[in-house]
Amino acid sequence: MTSLEELRKINARCIHCRACQYAYSNEPDREGADEEYTGMMLSCPGGNFYGWEGYFNSGRMWMARAFLEGDLKPSQEMLEVIEACTTCGLCAEQCTNYIDTVDIIEELRAAIIESGVEPLSRHKVIGDRVLDTEMRNPYHDPRSERTAWYDGELDNKDAKIAYYVGCTGAYRQQGVARHTTSILRKLDVDFTILTDEVCCGSPILRTGQKAIFNTVMNENLELFKDFDLLVFSCAGCFRTFKLDYPKQSGKPLPFKVAHTLDIVYDLITEGKLKIEKPYNKKVTWHDPCHTIRHIGLSIERKILEESKNWLLDSRKATKAKEAWYERPREVIRAIPGMDFVEMYRIKGNSFCCGAGGGVKTQFRDMANDTARERIKEAASTGAEVLLTSCPFCITNFNDAVKALKKEEEETGKDLSAVGSKIEVVELLELMDQLLD
Amino acid sequence: MVEYNKVTDEVVKKLAAICGEKYVTDSEPLRYSYMAKGIMGLEAVLPEVVIRPANTEEVRKILMVANDNLSPVTPAAGGLSGGFALPAIEPGGILMDMTRMNKMEVDTENRVMIVEPGVRCGDAWRIFKKRWPDWAPPIPDGAPPGATILGDAIERGFSLVTGRYGPQADMIMGLEVVLPSGEMFKTGSWALDGAKAFYRWGVGPNPDGLFLGSQGSMGIITKAAVKIVPHPHFKTIVAYGGDSWEHIVEPAWEIGKYEMGISDNTVMVQGGNWPLVMTRWPKSNVPLDYKFYEKIGIDEYWMNSEVWAHSQEELDFTLKRIDEIYKDYEVKQKTTCKQQQLHPKQIASRLKKPNLIAVPYGLYEAGFLFITFYCPWLESARMMEEYCAAMENYGFPPTMWVASIDHARQAIVMPILCFDSSEPDIYEKIREFNLETTKSFLDKGWVNYRPDPFVHAPETFIRAKEYYRMLVKFRKVLDPNFILHPGRLAIPWGSVTDLPNPLEGE
Repeated sequence: MTSLEELRKINARCIHCRACQYAYSNEPDREGADEEYTGMMLSCPGGNFYGWEGYFNSGRMWMARAFLEGDLKPSQEMLEVIEACTTCGLCAEQCTNYIDTVDIIEELRAAIIESGVEPLSRHKVIGDRVLDTEMRNPYHDPRSERTAWYDGELDNKDAKIAYYVGCTGAYRQQGVARHTTSILRKLDVDFTILTDEVCCGSPILRTGQKAIFNTVMNENLELFKDFDLLVFSCAGCFRTFKLDYPKQSGKPLPFKVAHTLDIVYDLITEGKLKIEKPYNKKVTWHDPCHTIRHIGLSIERKILEESKNWLLDSRKATKAKEAWYERPREVIRAIPGMDFVEMYRIKGNSFCCGAGGGVKTQFRDMANDTARERIKEAASTGAEVLLTSCPFCITNFNDAVKALKKEEEETGKDLSAVGSKIEVVELLELMDQLLD
Repeated sequence: MVEYNKVTDEVVKKLAAICGEKYVTDSEPLRYSYMAKGIMGLEAVLPEVVIRPANTEEVRKILMVANDNLSPVTPAAGGLSGGFALPAIEPGGILMDMTRMNKMEVDTENRVMIVEPGVRCGDAWRIFKKRWPDWAPPIPDGAPPGATILGDAIERGFSLVTGRYGPQADMIMGLEVVLPSGEMFKTGSWALDGAKAFYRWGVGPNPDGLFLGSQGSMGIITKAAVKIVPHPHFKTIVAYGGDSWEHIVEPAWEIGKYEMGISDNTVMVQGGNWPLVMTRWPKSNVPLDYKFYEKIGIDEYWMNSEVWAHSQEELDFTLKRIDEIYKDYEVKQKTTCKQQQLHPKQIASRLKKPNLIAVPYGLYEAGFLFITFYCPWLESARMMEEYCAAMENYGFPPTMWVASIDHARQAIVMPILCFDSSEPDIYEKIREFNLETTKSFLDKGWVNYRPDPFVHAPETFIRAKEYYRMLVKFRKVLDPNFILHPGRLAIPWGSVTDLPNPLEGE
């Protein structure tokens, strides 16, 4: 179990330099296409939207310090500010003092709630639903229908690999779940799906509701403990199992975990998989924070934790992180016919979709504004398709595009330059279409 | 002692009427987000209200409300390398967050840029890269992207070309200032209606110096006109080592004397010692014996020269002359000043602006403080020796940085106190260290570059009574109710120190 108290000394490294407010905060001469997308860019979703220092990570770190020192008392008002953060981790990527900003923000949220402050209204609703044994999902759907979308064999006790579907795949984006099972079959992965699977707890942990999170984490760990490998299609579930379960349970995972795209990546780079069907479109890629930046940062931190000489090993750690950031690109480049163009803010400096950390649930205007900024950046590349692989990014981007289309209808303006015509596509769905 | 009033709900309403409710907050969590202790100062208190004005007119109205209510006012924008130049101090009052005032105008014909307080270095650099690539924005060297141009300039901070042109304040061509009375004026030629900011001494005696070095203490600066200089693209860094402070300081002075020559190309000269490298990493994950640094080719002391030139030929000539000067010095002093072998990545990293070079000292033990002193260049070796000895005596690693100002006329000497901020009584220990060294240095005639309001300012003005008397007179004219931040001026005296007021009884 981690706690804010354990992070006290890491939090104390913050000197309030505000580099964390910027993407590419240490790359002033990075070349971009124009004045807007060049060099360093203010890129904190919360800070950009609200403007106050307290909505930037730099301000939040000092609120955390005041809380730890007993100067700032927990309150609903404080929780409102602390929750308006997508926990995208762009700030952690910038921090040359290696402050685990996402951990500090999440633990601060938990500490506020543990002190007796009620979770924010919409966060409480999803927490209550996940706690309800008849649901165990944030969508208010019956648990009995969790696997209703699936026509294959369930609960195969002989399988060594399980596909952890997650609540969004099971209840809202069944198409992604179906495409994932199709991909796994095409790749000859012998897997099963378990009817007793429950919410991974990601949105619950992100919003500080740790007691509920622990309940579902323990149920999942018990349920899947005898499997060798768990496969995922949801970025949030994958990050939660891979990073949060070991941290919060205090034990290593009893199984391996892999995102479906990791399996595809491994087969492509080992030369065992070749995509033959072309995809003749101009495409750009959005890095989901959960599977790209968060995992990349954890790889870097692990190397540094084990290092006795950071002076020598920090470059090695950075290289390992960057290699992780490159993985989805290698999958994309393996697709024939595609005209792949990168956005300006990519990899560790990728700008968030705006949905994460409980923001889409509680702060819809901020979520929408952030998605629109990212859609605009995608459109600036001239791409027809915005490719990503995260259910929350997909939903939030689609909502933003819909809002742009509606605005076009209402005003008669052509908003294609800011993304009204862009098509948002889940890479897993595309991969299924391209694999034989 | 000046008696201030609390910021009441009624005052908050008046402030909201000026800027709109969206831009005024008395939220306790948000007020805490503006705190910072360490790096530039250890004292900070919670402001009672934070307000984000959009323009000079709003600043003017806010100051009038503050003056009527006797509420202290602290202006802040992007801060410095860390923290704010002057965080709010007792009794809190109104913190004016100037980040919304972020307009800039660039006049390449007259080689001047006009900035509002919220123009951040990262944004200015980005815009210059595309729009004016042959001009360098007047940003500080060594500050992160969120630091502001105006903050650096009025702090008399570093520029990219301080080694040649002196502190950034020397590049100021005019200021727009608002006083607590609501009066607003411009300085220099800018004071004349419709005139450009092209002549600093303008239409009469120039009062700029009163408003620089202690921002917001005499008036709030809402615009500054700052010179811009060409940004030639032939640039590099060379570094030479030495076995003592003296042996890196003296050859840099020899180079500095070549004004109107290679010294003008040497835009930045800065040096340090082994601990300056070591303390950028966690104490528990870095070799603490210096053999390691020797092994990787870093001399115990070294000085970097950053050279800018308009052509490769000019760059090569400058480097050749620098090398010759070092070689002559070696012969003359019978010492060795080995040229350090810099990896291209090290050179690229040092040429990078803005940068995060000042940030990682927080890693060593989760806390650090910059203290800054000025002295004549050749005296800096003696100051650094004394400083390092004092740091070791107090149990701090002797992390030291030095840089030349204006062709090695002055030195800025900056010990970096790396400490564990969770250690009991650490701040008291730092204060004792700071007080001891400050007294010693002031007695030697050395002065602070960025005086700490609580230690340096009172200790300085005790020794400069006549000057302090004049400052107080000016302050009484400009801010009769003393609502502006005492800043680095120790006015009012009792707000920053318990020491006897040098003007007591007058």
